[in-house]
Amino acid sequence: MTELPSILPALVFMICLVRFSVPAEGKMNTTSTHFVPPRRVGIYEPLHQIGMWGENFKGNGTLNTPCPIIVPPDPKLDNSEDTSHGTAGTPHRFDQEASTSRHTDKIQRRLAQNREAARKSRLRKKAYVQQLETSRLKLIQLEQELDRARQQGFSIGGGVDAASSLSFSGSMNPGIGAFEMEYGHWVEEQNRQICELRALLHGHASDIELRMLVDNVMKHYFELFRMKSAAAKADVFYVMSGMWKTSAERFFLWIGGFRPSELLKVLLPHLDVLTEQQLLDVCNLRQSCQQAEDALSQGMEKLQQTLAESVAAGQLGEGSYVPQMTSAMERLEALVSFVNQADHLRHETLQQMYRILTTRQAARGLMALGEYFQRLRALSSSWATRQREPA
Amino acid sequence: MLGLRVSPRTTPFHQNAAFPKRETLENAGDDDVEKLVAENALIVIGRRGCCMSHVVKRLLLGLGVNPLVYDVDEDREEGVVQELVRINVSGVSGCGSGEKVALPAVYVGGKLFGGLDKVMSTHISGELVPILKEVGALWL
Repeated sequence: MTELPSILPALVFMICLVRFSVPAEGKMNTTSTHFVPPRRVGIYEPLHQIGMWGENFKGNGTLNTPCPIIVPPDPKLDNSEDTSHGTAGTPHRFDQEASTSRHTDKIQRRLAQNREAARKSRLRKKAYVQQLETSRLKLIQLEQELDRARQQGFSIGGGVDAASSLSFSGSMNPGIGAFEMEYGHWVEEQNRQICELRALLHGHASDIELRMLVDNVMKHYFELFRMKSAAAKADVFYVMSGMWKTSAERFFLWIGGFRPSELLKVLLPHLDVLTEQQLLDVCNLRQSCQQAEDALSQGMEKLQQTLAESVAAGQLGEGSYVPQMTSAMERLEALVSFVNQADHLRHETLQQMYRILTTRQAARGLMALGEYFQRLRALSSSWATRQREPA
Repeated sequence: MLGLRVSPRTTPFHQNAAFPKRETLENAGDDDVEKLVAENALIVIGRRGCCMSHVVKRLLLGLGVNPLVYDVDEDREEGVVQELVRINVSGVSGCGSGEKVALPAVYVGGKLFGGLDKVMSTHISGELVPILKEVGALWL
């Protein structure tokens, strides 16, 4: 009985020797170089990668979780250590080397996949942010345009077709989009010129100053005709329907603009005293303007008639349909000429008024004309507001 | 409604200006073009069915003028235009420039006057009526 206690410590000691000798052996062998680095790598790299993925998690939540990747190496290492206890000798060590090199490969591959996934998600995030930026800019732009349109007195509520067709035409046709932007600036400039005219007329400015302003106002109108000509080439129906104008202006529409005879009716009451010669000239101008207008109107009627005939005659059979469409298309080309001729008439009428009147009279007349259009625009927006209010 | 109304704006002498007897020539030979231009105080040469040509005619009619109208068929157009350019260059009807004549073309007193543009601007400026009177296309 007394022998047992003495044997026990020795046994324990021997067991301990066995336990610790082999691992020591293992560590002293080449496996030590295999063992330590992977563990070190296992510890540091995954942690490093957690940090990176943490950032990406903030950006978007579309990542794979890194956790499963970190865990496997450690149990494997533990396992390899356990297996080293039980057995001894070269086969075991060979297993260790093989399993660790396999583990190293797997770890390296996993880490490479991590890096790739992280890179891809960074690129995705970048693209998404860029998209957001451009959308934001576009939104700002649209808001600015809308503000400008509201200032001009566009009927946005009451004239839904006006607002929607504005954006629709603009987005579908770059020529029209450009025209609409230019027209916005044109109206701003016109408003500014009207204020200037008022200031100079009330302020008793010199004739030279007044003349310069009058010349600029005239040039400004001619600039509009040039813009319209370009827009007519892009979309003649847009110009013919006066889509860029406010609803009240469109009520008075004649071949894509104001009637020259209307122009004279608006101008004349504001011209004060006219000489005999001036009176005569003005009368002649009114008459010739009306005659030219009538001739153009009759031409338009003929165009409508022939176009209607072409369209009506078109049969929906093979062969006969296409030729009818081409002749109808040719007639539509004539519309562009009509817009140009109508603008030409407006141009000539303004020019002749300028010749007949003195500088001061012309200034007063142009101011009256500008204010007339301003009032029409204001009327349009008042009407739109009224429409929006509930009864 | 189709524009054949007697407008009170025309001079009294031409009350019937709305219902004129208009001479329309059709398919004259190309060499006849030169003769037509030379022998008439006023001639409007235009494509058949062209609406711009129609505008020119209606404007002149509204002034009390009875213009001679030569409607050209589409297939004859090329030939007629070439002929007009030729007589232009030769100095008979024009200043000698070889540029293409656009239809509708108005010839006043044997010389090329211009197209619708020209007719409009000279009418607004008040110069058209005196010119027409001068060549005898319009009486009072």
